[in-house]
Amino acid sequence: MNKSLFKISPGFEDIMPAEYRELVEHGPYEKGFGVSDLGTFKELIEEHPLCAGCGLALSLRMILASLPKPEDTIIVGSTGCSSIAFPQVALHNIHSLFGNQNALASGLKRALKLRFPDKIKDVVVIAGDGATADIGLDMVMQSWFRRENITTIMLDNEAYANTGGQESGMSPQGTILNMAPTGKKFPKISLPEIAREAGCAYAAAVSPAHPKRLEKAVRRAILLAREIGPTYIQVFSPCPTNYKFKPHETIARIKQREKDGTFSIKEYISPEAQEWLAQIEEVKK
Amino acid sequence: MYAVAKVDTEKCTGCKLCILTCPDPNVFTFYKEVKKVAVNENRCKGCGLCAAACPKEALAVVSV
Repeated sequence: MNKSLFKISPGFEDIMPAEYRELVEHGPYEKGFGVSDLGTFKELIEEHPLCAGCGLALSLRMILASLPKPEDTIIVGSTGCSSIAFPQVALHNIHSLFGNQNALASGLKRALKLRFPDKIKDVVVIAGDGATADIGLDMVMQSWFRRENITTIMLDNEAYANTGGQESGMSPQGTILNMAPTGKKFPKISLPEIAREAGCAYAAAVSPAHPKRLEKAVRRAILLAREIGPTYIQVFSPCPTNYKFKPHETIARIKQREKDGTFSIKEYISPEAQEWLAQIEEVKK
Repeated sequence: MYAVAKVDTEKCTGCKLCILTCPDPNVFTFYKEVKKVAVNENRCKGCGLCAAACPKEALAVVSV
């Protein structure tokens, strides 16, 4: 991104919207802010139409705050709850066909490598569980087989939430939703292990109940995607609207599931990626 | 009826847990000098996640 795009031309300061002015003056571009700086800068996401207490909105906010280089990041989204928040995100973002997000991101990354050979452009796919694990699983798996340098982040709310609550491949067994009244008949599959076997350099499962852990996972995933190969993160973000719990119980729900053993934080790093991370940590010291 | 979160500035210790649990962006502002948070009531949706997370019970969701 050309950073001068985010400057206001002289003489137009007073007619620009207040949100835009705040973004130019207090935005996170080129400042290297993280999750712990939230509340002191203007965030990349602005008032979104997602429900009160939405776990997905919380995850999205954390992910955007932990991007290592927001000014050089391009986000590819797909249909779902997250796609109605993307028009309010102050980054380059592309809305793809339902399930097509990883195919689009592969082409985009290759084109950017040719167009800007001396610059690093991060391509990050942020999509829901329906787009990643059900409808787009073919494209997602094939992008991992080809070892594309992209990061795939799945916002796992365990349902098709914005179409009224149908069961998805990520809903736990026995889940009863508005449009799935008989309950789901088969168990939830753990995708991080599949990602590890499919060739991802880094695969992790995190949740917004542990913001520092989420930040670390996102940074590692994006840095490893630049150098080594595809990376995958699954962010558990419960949906109060479709799972019928009170909006203030979202974080408690994640902790409850951790206690039950139905959700746990996971991290798989390939030996090659481990070596690279060790080198980076040595340089830092 | 609308509901928004209100901060009791006497009880707030500036631990920032509310900022890390709020699903809506730019609702909380953190003031480093005084170590307190402030709520932008126009952006708050009143979900109550911040009040549930606050260890000092400095936040409450009230109807306006």
